[in-house]
Amino acid sequence: MKSVLGRLARRAQRALSRSVAAAMLVMAPLAANAQRLLVPMDDAQQNHLKAYGLTYNALKAGLKAEWLLNYRGGSFLLPDTPELRRQSGLDGITAQSIDEGQLSAIRAEIAAANMDAIPLEKAPRIAVYTPPDAPPWDDAVTLALKYAGIDYTPIYDDEVMRGDLTKYDWLHLHHEDFTGQMNKFHLGYREAPWFVDLVQKNSAAARRLGFNSIPALKKTVAEQIRQFVDRGGFLFAMCGATETLELAIAGAAVDIGGAFADGTPMDENADEKMDWKRTFAFQGAHLEQSPFVNSMSDIDGHQVNVPGRRQPLGAFTLFNFSAKFDPVAAMLVQDHRSVISDFYGVTTSFTKSMLKPSVTVLAFEEGAPWVKYVHGDYGKGTWTYYGGHDPEDPQHAIGNPPTDLSLHKDSPGYRLILNNVLFPAAKKKPLKT
Amino acid sequence: MQTSRRSAVERGLLLVIAVPTLLTSQATGDRQPAAGTATVGDTTLFYKALDLEGAGKSLEAASLFRQALHTANAVSALLGLERVYAELHQTDSLLPAVDTLIRANPKEPIYREVQLRSLQTLNRDGDARDAFERWLRDAPRDPTPYREYARLLLERNQAQRADSVLARARIQLGGTGDLQLEIAQARAALGQWEESAQAWRSALAQAPYLEQAAAYALAPAPNSARDGIRSQFFAPPLIVAARRSLATLEDAWGTPANGWLALRDLPADSVSAAAWLDFAQRAEAEERWTHAREALASVLRWRQSPDVALRAAIAAINSGDPGAALGLAPLTLAGVDSARAARTLLPVHVRALAALGRPASAERLVVAYDHWLTPAARATLARSIAFGWVRIGDMSRARGALSEAGEEADSSDAAGWIALYAGDLRTARRLLRASGDASPELAVALALVARLEMDSAPDLGHAFLTLARGDTLQAATTLAESMERLPAAASLLLYTAAQWRRAARAEGPATELFKRVVEEYATSAEAPAAELEWARSLRRSGNALEAARRLEHLILTYPQSALVPQARRDLEVVRGSIP
Repeated sequence: MKSVLGRLARRAQRALSRSVAAAMLVMAPLAANAQRLLVPMDDAQQNHLKAYGLTYNALKAGLKAEWLLNYRGGSFLLPDTPELRRQSGLDGITAQSIDEGQLSAIRAEIAAANMDAIPLEKAPRIAVYTPPDAPPWDDAVTLALKYAGIDYTPIYDDEVMRGDLTKYDWLHLHHEDFTGQMNKFHLGYREAPWFVDLVQKNSAAARRLGFNSIPALKKTVAEQIRQFVDRGGFLFAMCGATETLELAIAGAAVDIGGAFADGTPMDENADEKMDWKRTFAFQGAHLEQSPFVNSMSDIDGHQVNVPGRRQPLGAFTLFNFSAKFDPVAAMLVQDHRSVISDFYGVTTSFTKSMLKPSVTVLAFEEGAPWVKYVHGDYGKGTWTYYGGHDPEDPQHAIGNPPTDLSLHKDSPGYRLILNNVLFPAAKKKPLKT
Repeated sequence: MQTSRRSAVERGLLLVIAVPTLLTSQATGDRQPAAGTATVGDTTLFYKALDLEGAGKSLEAASLFRQALHTANAVSALLGLERVYAELHQTDSLLPAVDTLIRANPKEPIYREVQLRSLQTLNRDGDARDAFERWLRDAPRDPTPYREYARLLLERNQAQRADSVLARARIQLGGTGDLQLEIAQARAALGQWEESAQAWRSALAQAPYLEQAAAYALAPAPNSARDGIRSQFFAPPLIVAARRSLATLEDAWGTPANGWLALRDLPADSVSAAAWLDFAQRAEAEERWTHAREALASVLRWRQSPDVALRAAIAAINSGDPGAALGLAPLTLAGVDSARAARTLLPVHVRALAALGRPASAERLVVAYDHWLTPAARATLARSIAFGWVRIGDMSRARGALSEAGEEADSSDAAGWIALYAGDLRTARRLLRASGDASPELAVALALVARLEMDSAPDLGHAFLTLARGDTLQAATTLAESMERLPAAASLLLYTAAQWRRAARAEGPATELFKRVVEEYATSAEAPAAELEWARSLRRSGNALEAARRLEHLILTYPQSALVPQARRDLEVVRGSIP
């Protein structure tokens, strides 16, 4: 109770100082004759996804930007430079030049409503945890980054174990199984060439790095990722990586891998031995003991690969946060749609009853016992989980053709991914207040 | 309300009472009808139950189906009961009845199948496995238990387990001849495409009707696995269903031309002819005329048919082989009288002769069949003959052919084309505009004559005449050279000449002309299109960097152009930012 009151007090103080700052911004004389480029993110925008790339690359080039939360779908304000105009023209991004008078009017509108202008300062250094030979089309985040023109560095077990995570601000995980059970694909693909190759490469990496099994290696990698967040890193995970990362962290000292993965069956009492104090988002989950059931635990609400448990897809709704009081959560849900069609993944959703009390729910399905999109702080860093594999391929199956984002350039589901990429650029301001 | 609630309770009680009665009587093998229950010979119960099921009264139907389990319709009644219980979400209620039926008749496979299906539906995997084992004990040499259980596992995406069941069948039965379909499906689900194709081939030898199923199952095979599948389907001895399936697969893989390789050496019989006709129909729709001609010619080698002969001849002309058309559909074809020949075969012969540069022969043919021709048919044939004269460069005979055919022919688009060849833009403009034709050639000609204000342009006419005579490269050169005397249409002339060069596969010279349009006529309407073509040419030649530069230039220089979305997409491809 005490901590809740303290938090409310801090929020109120933050709101006051922010309102004063906003008023000062409106009243203060603006930089002489500086034209700005307004990149609207409502339905007037012709390429929402590329707009994130434009903003990211402006920051990377040393320019300053602002994220106008809740203003016209979460618009961006950029300096009006010839290069940015050129880039927006090339990519078909809607951007309009505005003068000081127009900017003042926008700031006044922002000050008077549930909106805020968040300065974006520095482009985060991005790493994506993915096998070295994986094409970018295998992962919705690398698809989005590639399409938006945002550079990233692929890293995998060798780099993580070498300590390379310290080189990056932002880390993405997708369908890696951190329990080391290879998503239990042995059930359907034991002899498929790609699966045999995957197992061989991971086994070789485990041996090379001094581990006796893939589960042992992956648990250690999961621990490195936990420490990365604890030290102040930004983690964004989707699909099966969300659930298995949590299981690997909680089960660091427990045998949670089936015999097919590490040669010994899962500890019969694994549920009781899990240490949920160390995890980011979940607690009290039950592990799936059967090696013949393609599920890891009951964290996932949809259980897409278990025929008798599979739940149908619905639609999820984004929470409308206060831009001035909850800028971080507000940034993560900026979108031109508030209800979005759901999409399956190895882990599609997160069972509500297993969320830790500190978790912020960003998107939920009305009436369902699960949520779709969650966020939280951990140590000095933050994490965000977004269930599902590909927002524009709701029934994605292995071997399906990759998504061509030029056909989905205004995808509201993909926007949520890119919100996460830009959010670290704005992280410092909320902390200052 | 009270009444209906009481009725439901009473019905429920009746069911509860009826079930043990039924089970007890069957378990003891007592077939004597009890008061109010069914007799073995009573078939009305089953049909009444069917009626109730059809009327959507599942609960009432269930009751009668259960009673019908005592009758000679027991198997059908059980299947009915399975359906209605599924509707009522009471599949678990089916299991005791099935157990009883199996005890009474352990050899009946339908009972076992229903039991397995029900247990799978209820996610009772362990019980399903036990039921399968019991079935095996009762029928150790029968492949049916393996087949049914493997099918159920495959339906549940448990390909690995299905594979284990089939491996066990191989050991226990000493072979898997009866299980090829299931093996094929399991292998495909496991991504073992070549092994799957091998099993499909065996299955198709026994059951040709599975050819569509085989094509559907193998369609997701990746590029790298397709040659392996092809080699399995091509392996001797030739199995017609396997080849037909491969042809369908090639279509699904986006390589329809390869489909003909699968079909061309089939034995000439009615089954093969049906495959050839199917293939030809697809090829015609996709304007793959060479393959259409070959497929139709194969049909003709098996059996002559005027309709097929006519289609084969048209395909031959369209594929650029008019000489073959004359042989494929001779005017003396059996079963075709002179009137029908004049209506169907004569136009094809005249077109073929015109394309061969033998308009005089075509004229003689028309005269020979004149008795059976209508004025409209004469005008159409005159146009074909006129183009024949154009082809050999005799413009006066071409004009004469149209004039002789009457006013209709003389004012047709054919007359417009001939006027254009002669450089008479005024007449060409008038006649071509009235044409109902929607060909790209006409669009280009109209664009050019509309752009030019003069009434005469012999150079332009000569270029189109050269094109009509089949010398595309020379036509392009003539057109490009004509721009000096026709500056008002210079950019369009250059752009069109570039397109003609590209059509003649002269990529380099075509690109040179596209480049000239961009550099010398940057403000013309053709400049964005020319720049897009230039960029595509650069990309095809592997110069992605320069291609990207051209595309960027196009997008930024012509932001209002309708081609900008295409240019942006091309730019994405060049940059590698989309798959």
